[in-house]
Amino acid sequence: MLAMSAPATSRPPAPAPVLDEASLQRLHELDPQGTHRVVERVLRAFEASLSRLLPQAQQALAQGDHEAVRHVVHTLKSSSASVGALELSRCCGEIENRLRAQQSDGLGAMVSGLEAEGRRVLCAVRGLLGA
Amino acid sequence: MTASYPYGDEPGVKPPEVLLVDDDEVNLLLTAAALRERGFNITESGGGEHALKVLADWAPDIIVLDAMMPGLDGFATCRRLRAMPGFENVPVLMLTGLDDDASITRAYQAGATDFFVKASQWSLLAGRLKYLLRASRTRIELERSQAKLARAQDLARMGSFDWRRASVPGSQGSLVLSAQGLRVLGYGASDGVGLRDILRLVQRSERRAVLRLLQGVVQHSSVLATDVPVTLRDGRQRIIHVEAEPEFNEHGHGVGYMGIVQDVTDRRVAEDRIRHLANFDALTGLPNRRQLVWRMERAIEHARRLGHPCAFLMIDLDRFKLINDTLGHAAGDELLMEVAQRLRACVRHSDQVMEGALEAVGSRAHRTLEAVGRLGGDEFIALLPEIGDERDAQRVADRILEVMRDPVLVGGQECFVTASVGIAIFPRDGLSVADLMRNSDVAMFSVKSQGKDASAIYSPQLAGRGREKLELESALHKAIERDELVLHYQPKVDVRSARMVGAEALMRWQRGGTLVAPGDFIPLAEESGLILPLSEWALREAARQARIWQNSFGFSDSIAVNLPCRVFERSDLVDQIHRNAMNYGIPHRMVQLEITETGLMKELQSVIPSLHKLKDINVEVAIDDFGTGYSSLAYLTTLPISELKIDRSFVHDLGVTPQSSGIVTAIIAVARSLNLRVIGEGVENLRQMEVLHRLGCSLMQGFLFSRPIPADDLERWLQQTVLPRRAPWIGQAGDLGLGDAPLRSAAGRPY
Repeated sequence: MLAMSAPATSRPPAPAPVLDEASLQRLHELDPQGTHRVVERVLRAFEASLSRLLPQAQQALAQGDHEAVRHVVHTLKSSSASVGALELSRCCGEIENRLRAQQSDGLGAMVSGLEAEGRRVLCAVRGLLGA
Repeated sequence: MTASYPYGDEPGVKPPEVLLVDDDEVNLLLTAAALRERGFNITESGGGEHALKVLADWAPDIIVLDAMMPGLDGFATCRRLRAMPGFENVPVLMLTGLDDDASITRAYQAGATDFFVKASQWSLLAGRLKYLLRASRTRIELERSQAKLARAQDLARMGSFDWRRASVPGSQGSLVLSAQGLRVLGYGASDGVGLRDILRLVQRSERRAVLRLLQGVVQHSSVLATDVPVTLRDGRQRIIHVEAEPEFNEHGHGVGYMGIVQDVTDRRVAEDRIRHLANFDALTGLPNRRQLVWRMERAIEHARRLGHPCAFLMIDLDRFKLINDTLGHAAGDELLMEVAQRLRACVRHSDQVMEGALEAVGSRAHRTLEAVGRLGGDEFIALLPEIGDERDAQRVADRILEVMRDPVLVGGQECFVTASVGIAIFPRDGLSVADLMRNSDVAMFSVKSQGKDASAIYSPQLAGRGREKLELESALHKAIERDELVLHYQPKVDVRSARMVGAEALMRWQRGGTLVAPGDFIPLAEESGLILPLSEWALREAARQARIWQNSFGFSDSIAVNLPCRVFERSDLVDQIHRNAMNYGIPHRMVQLEITETGLMKELQSVIPSLHKLKDINVEVAIDDFGTGYSSLAYLTTLPISELKIDRSFVHDLGVTPQSSGIVTAIIAVARSLNLRVIGEGVENLRQMEVLHRLGCSLMQGFLFSRPIPADDLERWLQQTVLPRRAPWIGQAGDLGLGDAPLRSAAGRPY
């Protein structure tokens, strides 16, 4: 059982919480008694997916495979929103829109920003899971 | 769990099965969890290929597809599954990203039912799924009921159509027929058919009338309902029922018709058949009573209006019952069919089924009413809707009598049937069908009572005779108690020995001052059932007389009593005879019974038991009027009878026609071979006696010897005529070279 209020208070002070508490709360509500361990499974799946996808994004960008980049950000956009990684989700959305509009300028910086935010989220999620 | 039910709050309904396809494990997990929480059964699939594999042997109620997936994406997956049989109409919800208009369009193009923007607002997703499921269920039900309707319409050979009035006047408008409707009219489902094509199917003779009807209906925006005979393109002739109601626009103007076409050929054929059955006699095919009465009513109506007479001829066959009884019902039916054919040739017979109003309105229309019909049994009626005067009716009656004269071949046997015809004429003899039928009946009966095979026109005097008959019947009722009945006796003699060998008792009715002959009241007694008490009385009276004669002159032979066959059928006949014999102290054999040949043959099976019982108590039975009926020799050999009485008609012709002696010879031979006594009836002169005797029959009865006389007179006759050998026939018998037979009985009794 994870204490949902724990991350916000136990994390060092930050300009904005990496994981949105309200989102986590909604997640928790999917399985209020915790009988299906939904929150834990979701976080684990997200952690696995994020650790796999972040390097993929960099790699695809290096290869100029914008379609693959787009797929990564599309996937991450909704799953990160679901676990409350709102900033990460926003970054994904930005990149996706740009790619859909076929504007590749500044893409490298954006993907780097995505990676940095992704790392932060990973830490936060691992923190939750490791607790 | 506080799961609500996605189909609304209906416990007991199976939770809907959802196939959820998303490549992202996080989304898959979350969405599945959220939907499970809301009562759905979720099957998760991580990609398009996997999903299609799952669908190969399982059909969910709804499919939720993520649009963007590596490999087979949502659009491709949707397109593929739509191509799979059974998945054409399964609801598919495509999950797309926000602001992704292109995906939404693509989703619809790929065959998705709806789209949903990915979000974590789970209740919105669940609500959308519920809505899609409900729509799908409604659609399934609709399809099912449409299929049912189509099937029902097919079964009923029915289809629908929709006709829109043309915007341009004079054009035929647009017609849309359902597939079933096209089939009804003999077209394929893909044939383009216009109103003009369909009108061309209408049988030529009807086309103008149908067009007129359609124009009239459309003009008044009235309801259309009619049967139209058509010839389909393959040549089949059918009857199509068309029924349609007008449709109106918001201004109340008729804009078209919606309705059905139905092949009602079979129904119409059945209806025609029923109508025919209801109006025509099944055996002869002639109009039956119902149809006749209808025609007679119309004929009277018409005759009244145009002021001409019309005639009803009541026709009754004379010997039909006899033929039916002796040759069997099958032969009787055969005879009726033949008679029907002959009768209908006597008038301008019309077979048209008629009901409702006379369709053709014209002064000659009533001619189609003319017909011969069968009222039932052997009763027919000819309707002449217009005659000049009664001579016209008489001529038809004569023709009817004439066509009956030829023998009818039934059951391989020639039969002679005659008819009695009674004529009643409107308006002289009655104004209503009932009156005219009754009066033609009265006229017909007058023919019957006067010897049949003739016709008579009604007159009020005839009806008076009917009243007489009623009076006679009621008087006869009282005759027994008033002691008005007497038996007269006619001796039976043996001419060889010139002695009396018995007597036949014949009933007389002393009514007031007159003596009524049996022919005038026995038929009435038989008709009314009075014959039973009359017979009972006769048996008692005969026994009483036998006893008196036994005492007065040593009478030891028998008195024969004529009984109708229905008395023989009664089980108490033997008891009656036994009781009488006991009461009067005579042996049973002193009462002999006579039954006519036709009576015997008619009810042979029911009479036989009595015959045996009678034989057991030594009561002899004679067959009267022998030779006139249809006796089977095979039966005769087995019947316990003692005597055959040769019918007077053969005796009458003896010495006149050679045939008669042939018949008599044959009867005598039969009697001899069966060891039966044979006696000739109706002997009136010496020549007849002589021939009979020469042919081998010495027992006789007739006016030559004595007419039927009261009991006292018979005793006197014996004393004064027979014993003194004073009668001319006694000498004759002696002259026949049969020796001088002693005028005494074998036992030496002197009579």
